[in-house]
Amino acid sequence: MDQPYELLPEQFQINPSLPIYEQFVEAIQRRIISGLIPPGSRLPSVRDLAAGRGVNPTTAARTYQELERMGLIVTYRGQGTFVTREDAVIGEARKVIMRKAIKEFKAAADTLGITAEQLLEFDKEDSNDIL
Amino acid sequence: MTSYKLNTEAAEPAAVECRGLNLKIKKKIILDDISFDIPQGSLTGLLGPNGAGKSSLLRIISGLASPDAGAVQIFGKPAGVKQLGSLSLLPDRSSLPGWLSVKEWLEFACGIYPDWDQAKAQELQQQLSVSGESLISAMSRGEEARLQLLTCLSRKAPLIILDEPFTGVDLISRERIASAVVGELADGARTFLIATHDIREMELLFDRLILIGDGRVRGIEDVEQLRRSGKSVESRYREVFA
Repeated sequence: MDQPYELLPEQFQINPSLPIYEQFVEAIQRRIISGLIPPGSRLPSVRDLAAGRGVNPTTAARTYQELERMGLIVTYRGQGTFVTREDAVIGEARKVIMRKAIKEFKAAADTLGITAEQLLEFDKEDSNDIL
Repeated sequence: MTSYKLNTEAAEPAAVECRGLNLKIKKKIILDDISFDIPQGSLTGLLGPNGAGKSSLLRIISGLASPDAGAVQIFGKPAGVKQLGSLSLLPDRSSLPGWLSVKEWLEFACGIYPDWDQAKAQELQQQLSVSGESLISAMSRGEEARLQLLTCLSRKAPLIILDEPFTGVDLISRERIASAVVGELADGARTFLIATHDIREMELLFDRLILIGDGRVRGIEDVEQLRRSGKSVESRYREVFA
């Protein structure tokens, strides 16, 4: 099967001041969780990922190693690397990202001196006002 | 899958080992006690401002010039004419015979290099979009740079040394050159040493940096560790040279 999806968005911006494989892992993980890269999809080879993004092959290899360690991708010898079909594994990864999002949301509320609930409440009232 | 040198074994000799290199030209110090190692399989950037001594250093490593003091080892053997077969050099400001067509040049190169890989040359010709019919003297700077890289990479030499491969080369050619280098690095156990002052083109490719200025080593960096401490290749370069 050829890739009908993009492993990373075409315009993906790499921050050269942070480990690149971590940025790749984070972005690919989110795309797997959201279903943008469907379960069972075949991933490009390490060589193609590296050449396509102009990064060191070690960066691409580390990205896959990390995703494999998380269980999100699986390598079958001689066949290639594929996104897992196990919903439970994807579900777990989703929870990790959700916790992170909540933490960021709470931190944002905190800087305003209110609770996360108050911030959500405000959003409800605000949308009602507009309607 | 290849293991991409994640576990470095100390047993193999460094691709390049420089010890205490000194070079003077007419009382001017060009290289001052230069020492460093380049591990096999690495893509090392040799960075520094113009006049830092990069090209002189690369000529010594390639065995085309001798230092006044110090020594260079290539894969554990003294640098010199005998090691020319283990390295492929793209010299700065070189030019190819303009009266030949690309096809004629490649046939000539195939005849002079014992380690020439014809299949690789054809593959790279396609990847780098170099047309065989073009006359070299009629090529743009970018096309000629791609042809030079093609010539350099079509040999099986385990050490590739590129001296300013991007000077005067257009954006698309730069991207093609960078992508071809990645492909070569991923495919085999080659080691790359690339001198450049165009950091942005290559920043994401380097795994190791050697910073030289005024003939001295100003820093040797593991790029992954730099990024772990929140620094980019460019910011480190500014720190050292600004």
